[in-house]
Amino acid sequence: MTNPFDMLLGGFAHVLGGGAVWHALWAVLIGIVIGALPGLTATMGVALLTTLTFGMGANVAMLVLVCVYVGAIYGGSRSAILLNIPGTPASAASTLDGFPLARQGLAGRAMGISTAGSWLGTLFGTLILALFAPSFGEFALQFGSYEMFWVAMFGIIIAGSLSGGDPLKGYIAGFIGLFVATIGQETNHAYARFAFGNGDLAGGLGLLPVLVGVFGVAEVLSAMRGPAVKAVSSKIDSVIPRIRDITMYWRTILRSGALGTFIGAMPGLGEDIAAWTSYAAAKRASAEREKFGKGSVEGLMAAETGESACVPGAIIPVLTLAVPGSAPAAVLMAAMMIHGLNPGPMLAITSPEFIYQIVAMLVIADMVKLFYGLVLVKPLLWILLIPRARLMPVVFVLCTVGAFAITSRLFDIWVMLGAGVVGFILRELRFPMAPLVLGIVLGDLLDKNLLRGLVLSGGDLSPFFTRPISMGLCVLTLLAAAWSIPGVTALFRRRAVA
Amino acid sequence: MSTPDVVTPLDGEKAPASPRADLVTAAVLFALGIAIMAQAWSMPRFVEQSGTGLTAPGIVPGFYGAMIALLAGVLGLRAVRRGGWAVHAPRRAANGDGRQLLTAAVLGVVYAGVLVGRVPFWLASALFVFAFTTVFEWDQGPERRVRRVVEAALVGLGTGLAVTLVFEKLFLLRLP
Repeated sequence: MTNPFDMLLGGFAHVLGGGAVWHALWAVLIGIVIGALPGLTATMGVALLTTLTFGMGANVAMLVLVCVYVGAIYGGSRSAILLNIPGTPASAASTLDGFPLARQGLAGRAMGISTAGSWLGTLFGTLILALFAPSFGEFALQFGSYEMFWVAMFGIIIAGSLSGGDPLKGYIAGFIGLFVATIGQETNHAYARFAFGNGDLAGGLGLLPVLVGVFGVAEVLSAMRGPAVKAVSSKIDSVIPRIRDITMYWRTILRSGALGTFIGAMPGLGEDIAAWTSYAAAKRASAEREKFGKGSVEGLMAAETGESACVPGAIIPVLTLAVPGSAPAAVLMAAMMIHGLNPGPMLAITSPEFIYQIVAMLVIADMVKLFYGLVLVKPLLWILLIPRARLMPVVFVLCTVGAFAITSRLFDIWVMLGAGVVGFILRELRFPMAPLVLGIVLGDLLDKNLLRGLVLSGGDLSPFFTRPISMGLCVLTLLAAAWSIPGVTALFRRRAVA
Repeated sequence: MSTPDVVTPLDGEKAPASPRADLVTAAVLFALGIAIMAQAWSMPRFVEQSGTGLTAPGIVPGFYGAMIALLAGVLGLRAVRRGGWAVHAPRRAANGDGRQLLTAAVLGVVYAGVLVGRVPFWLASALFVFAFTTVFEWDQGPERRVRRVVEAALVGLGTGLAVTLVFEKLFLLRLP
């Protein structure tokens, strides 16, 4: 069975067996609720739900996590529209036009636009994934240690440059993440690095406890520090998407879908960048620019389509290179490894059908998301009103369970607490979190491939720069680094204007 | 009327940290980078086993340490150029936000670091949720305080029991 269409059908048949619809229903719902609640992000949702999937088969576990991811990114728009507070960072762009629409008494229409844009975006991205991931995966088979080193380095640099805020702090966060990944026994000589004689440290810092700390505990602390969310009092009109909103802005949908998927496929950028870029591109191309920021249907459609198209996009490099396209995708990748699936170039050889199973999971999640988008409005309003003083301790309890469950070590709870405090401090100092996570996830890949490459070349550095693909990746990495130098960016912008 | 430009994260720092904070951060990170390099240098090289020493465990973390120190140096220089050395930021008095943050952090550490592992998990979680909710809702005034405390106790008990049931019985996971 090598025909892609047969494999796609096989993927659907495989995924739909074993109560998939039931799992998709509850997992998307949890995802939407997590995404809608300010302070809880998609990354945290996927990390916490990973704990729940330990006892499940790999297939069901992946379906659940993909559904949570898809649901959470969509759910963020609910609070963006109704409260003017993005439920997840990805929904920040949706507040610009979603909330003004709600204030005009069009909250239902705004949610309909959000549902349509998000549904079409994920569908578009999934189509791109199905079309290109298998062939890109085969191309990635040519990648050796030298190339994988540059892929990991490119991920850190581009995440540092573009993940928002200060590129310099992004790079530092990335290298801190890479350093964290070196703690514990290394593979060549089983030497325990930075363990200081401590047996627990010699075992390394678990990926999940660190991620739960950085995204869970740090977010609980941030939420308790900030002002309380004000109650919403909005009458909701019809949430059924209008066909005219879709046909009128089909160009925006296609453009945002393509941009969102492309940005998703770039290591470490993620949904927030996808949404902002799609929004900015839509505004630039729009005939009704003056409406942007005041309740533009096109603006909201662009942001929603872009962020949701980014989800399948972010999974493309996970499957083909073992490099995550976003922070939630990094946790998803970690979960794949926990469940014995080995994402990366070898996937095209060992289990090519898995790519199509992921496609099926994304389509199922997208359909369930559409269903909830149409029916789940009033209950979600009620959930949005849960006071943070009651919600956050429950989240903290779930974080503790999540950190402990994978290896049953109390040490991991301390790791979670430490990572949470460090993550909170770094966040307060405006260090972006995406490069940090990418560094932790890619640390092992970079470490192994750098050393393996040096051993293979007998200490000669030239193959890192002279092999064709390696050279291309090196140039891309340098360009990404140069982009963050203010003078270079200004020069580029001046030329673009001229 | 011209429309405002779209401000995106791509346009740079929206709410930068103060130069003084950046300078202190740079100093801490520089020290961290140097400490990592020193530790990496002191690691065994395993030259006899590998023949070349290229698999020495300290190479990669040493590189990371050097990069952290280098970038921290750049951050520090930038902070100085922005006035981090000269400007003495006024010390902020402890405000409500800081107190809330400290309270949340202390409660979290007491729960995860002290109670968990020593007290049955359902009880530890119930106590934590109850204490957390009660403390943070205390300032809402004496009106209906008793009711809020009772509700907090119920939420705590419900959380402790539900988490234990769902994770231990339904998903067969070991709890601390």
